[in-house]
Amino acid sequence: MSPSKNLQNNKNMAEMNQQNSSAGETPDDDPSTDAVQDGPVAKSKMEANDEYGAKDLEHLSDLEHVRERPSMYIGDTTARGLHHLVYEVVDNSIDEAMAKFATEVLVTINGDGSVTVEDDGRGIPTERHEQLSEQMGHEVSTLEGVMTVLKFGGKFTKGAYQTSGGLHGVGVTVVNFLSEWCEVEICRDGHVYHQEYERGIPKSDVRRVGTTERRGTKTTFKPDSQIFSVTKFKYGTLVKRLQELAFLNRGVKITLSDTRSDESETFQYEDGIREYVNFLNRASDVAHAEVLHVDGESDGVNVEVALQYSGEYTENVHTYVNNISTTEGGTHLSGFRSALTRSLNNYGKKMNLFRDLVPSGDDVREGLTAVLSVRVPHPQFEGQTKTKLGNSEVEGIVNSVLGEYLNKYLEENPKTAKAIVRKGLVAAEARESARKARQLIRERKGALSGGGLPGKLRDCSSRDVDKCELYLVEGDSAGGSAEGGRMREYQAILPLRGKIINAYKSREDKVLANEEVRSMIAAIGTGIGEEQDLSKRRYGRIVIMTDADVDGSHIRTLLLTFFYRQMYDLVAHGHVYVAQPPLFRVRNKKETYYVQTEEEMKDQLLELGLGDSVFDPGEDGLIEGELMEKLCRTVAALEDSVIALERRGISLKGHAERQDPETLKLPVYHVFLLGKEFWFTSRQQLDQFLEEQEKTLGRELQIEAGRAAGKSTQDETPESAQPQGEAGKANGKAQPDVEESREELKIRIVELHEVRSINTLLQDLDKLGFSIEALIPQERTGEEGARYILRRGDSETGLEDIRGLPGAIRAAGEKGLQITRFKGLGEMNAEELRETTLDPKNRTLLRVRMDDVSAADNLFRILMGDIVEPRREFIQKHALDVRNLDV
Amino acid sequence: MRCPICQLEFLSSSSPALPFCSARCREIDLGRWLGERYGLLTMPDPEADEEPENDWAQKENSPPVSD
Repeated sequence: MSPSKNLQNNKNMAEMNQQNSSAGETPDDDPSTDAVQDGPVAKSKMEANDEYGAKDLEHLSDLEHVRERPSMYIGDTTARGLHHLVYEVVDNSIDEAMAKFATEVLVTINGDGSVTVEDDGRGIPTERHEQLSEQMGHEVSTLEGVMTVLKFGGKFTKGAYQTSGGLHGVGVTVVNFLSEWCEVEICRDGHVYHQEYERGIPKSDVRRVGTTERRGTKTTFKPDSQIFSVTKFKYGTLVKRLQELAFLNRGVKITLSDTRSDESETFQYEDGIREYVNFLNRASDVAHAEVLHVDGESDGVNVEVALQYSGEYTENVHTYVNNISTTEGGTHLSGFRSALTRSLNNYGKKMNLFRDLVPSGDDVREGLTAVLSVRVPHPQFEGQTKTKLGNSEVEGIVNSVLGEYLNKYLEENPKTAKAIVRKGLVAAEARESARKARQLIRERKGALSGGGLPGKLRDCSSRDVDKCELYLVEGDSAGGSAEGGRMREYQAILPLRGKIINAYKSREDKVLANEEVRSMIAAIGTGIGEEQDLSKRRYGRIVIMTDADVDGSHIRTLLLTFFYRQMYDLVAHGHVYVAQPPLFRVRNKKETYYVQTEEEMKDQLLELGLGDSVFDPGEDGLIEGELMEKLCRTVAALEDSVIALERRGISLKGHAERQDPETLKLPVYHVFLLGKEFWFTSRQQLDQFLEEQEKTLGRELQIEAGRAAGKSTQDETPESAQPQGEAGKANGKAQPDVEESREELKIRIVELHEVRSINTLLQDLDKLGFSIEALIPQERTGEEGARYILRRGDSETGLEDIRGLPGAIRAAGEKGLQITRFKGLGEMNAEELRETTLDPKNRTLLRVRMDDVSAADNLFRILMGDIVEPRREFIQKHALDVRNLDV
Repeated sequence: MRCPICQLEFLSSSSPALPFCSARCREIDLGRWLGERYGLLTMPDPEADEEPENDWAQKENSPPVSD
């Protein structure tokens, strides 16, 4: 053959190939062969010892073209192209499996560097191929056509395979052409057929070599080192792709074995890409349990999507067209993205989940793990690595299949839907926050050059950081007093105010205004976020000074939480303090002084009132002096506990009747069982009772998870327990008897914690000669005057019980004093504020410790959180507990 | 620790942005402060307003510092 002729033929062949691929036609349209086509089916090859004729040259050019320009067919001749050979062969087996003719694919890396791919499919037909033989002018089998003629394959005939794998269109022919040697063994119709090739040329005709009961195709090839720069197969590379193929083709069992190392793995996924998504998310926390999955078809294009959101911030979307990974994306990915964004945002809008922010496409894909697999009859690949799908019709198809599914799914699964939409919202928020933070940092950088301290700040003159203090003062009037009263040299004042926001009609929220937050950051000077630098702080102490009322405690909680979260180091290093302004101003004839707390005030008044007080209990002589003080303090100490008991709806009088006459103790445990109430003064008594009951009833008692303490005790009567019992009966229809008796064995135990301290104090009272009776007004008929008498100087006060004693003493102590309770810092003038709260000589500062702030943060989480999240119900439910948590 | 933003449990030694699990969560938090999205519900609760006990209870939580 002359070179020029060869060239000519090459040209013809190229044209022909083009035609074939674009029109989807193949030389193989003889219907009789369709049924047995398996993988690429060949066109022609002359017998090995034949002379070259005009027709044969066409084929030779095929072989030469592939070997001269392998990159055109398999991408490149590096490791990537080398492994690609395996995938081409495997693709054929997978096609057979997807068409339900095969169940298993075995891939073996052999010791000599060759690879064997084996399936249990129908086996490539081995009989004479009529059309091809005519064309070629000699006897050609289908198998030989498959192995030696390009573009000769079942997958180019519509109908041969519904969902064809590779569709690269090069197939096993190219593998054969680029192999040093290749052999195919077909088990079909009870016989084993065999053919060998060397660099693409058959060494003989197809030979029948024996009988078998098996069926399938087994291809072994050794890549040609004349073609490939690398000829060693990597197990890891193959295993990755084979697993991917197993995911993409659900149910197909793929095994890879490496005889060089004895490594072996088998993959089979009945749930296909759903399992792929689980696999991709295996190391992440997932935002919702279920993997969303749709498998639909439109206009001959099959669309399958599986997706799930994880806690990651990245997008992890894998797209495939006919099992080929499309790393550059393309029209199918565009359709996927627009459907996702549209469906999620439509849902969010409909459910009113958005306020000011609507997530963007990037936002809704944050944390998304998805596999998109489409099967397109005639894919057009674009892009640098030909891994971008170009078929424009696919975009709309994916969009509508996925959109339809998502709309329905979100509607039917509100919990998952909301979790997903919220994730998108958080992403949008993070983006917005990052923007705000950048802006803030820019502003601060700009501010550094131009002064930059907030206008409201009254700064100190000293620059000695350790000595300088910044007072964050709530309210403008208090700010004024503080400014007047401060030590100008080293005390700075920044007045702050809570801002009221009406986010919802029925409620008000108090927030720190944006302006205030920025002022604080600027004044403190350490910066924020990653740029935080404690050494740049402008003050050694940051002092929070708020009123001792609810508003003040709100602002204080807000500030503490802000510092804890955004200026963690400042708190951790002990630079944050809380000022303690006094609650009372006391004036007597001689002087004016201040009292910090209510307790202190009460205590002082008691002391003042005691003076020469004498208590006449009506018998056994008078009580005075030290004993008198002891009595008063004991009774005063009792008061809080008794109030706590009364809050439960249990009166002291009623409870006194349950007093144990021997130990003088009041019951601490209130027990409900079998519609009856029981009281116990000690745990031992209670345990003994429980044991006895269990013995009598012959069953273990079921402890009800009722609230152990709190208001609810009021209705903890046997009656109130009944509705629950009835509900239980209603549920247990199947075996009413058993259910009923089980119901009766429910026991509720309420522990009255406050009674413990009452009992201790009753012992003290007993030593002073008073019983519990003294605390309870007695019904008396006589007219002999008051039960008890308190004498102080000339005055006498009658008392019906000793509970009123401390109050009476305090009232006496108050005489001659002018006591003012400060309702807020603003009520103090500059001088007073300086004297009590600013001047280091007199003031009390509390250093904020990490425990305190994290407690504040916990409270904050309960009380506030995001305004956008309605939480009224929650707060109402927990209001009682929260009160005790105040910081 | 539990991150105030994403609510995930994490080891304090593993985070560069305490008390958050990550710089990102800290930034989201800052965005909320700047966006005035953190608020305390001013509850219409007359009892809470009247009871002065609340106000001094907190002072017992923090130990005084000698100054």
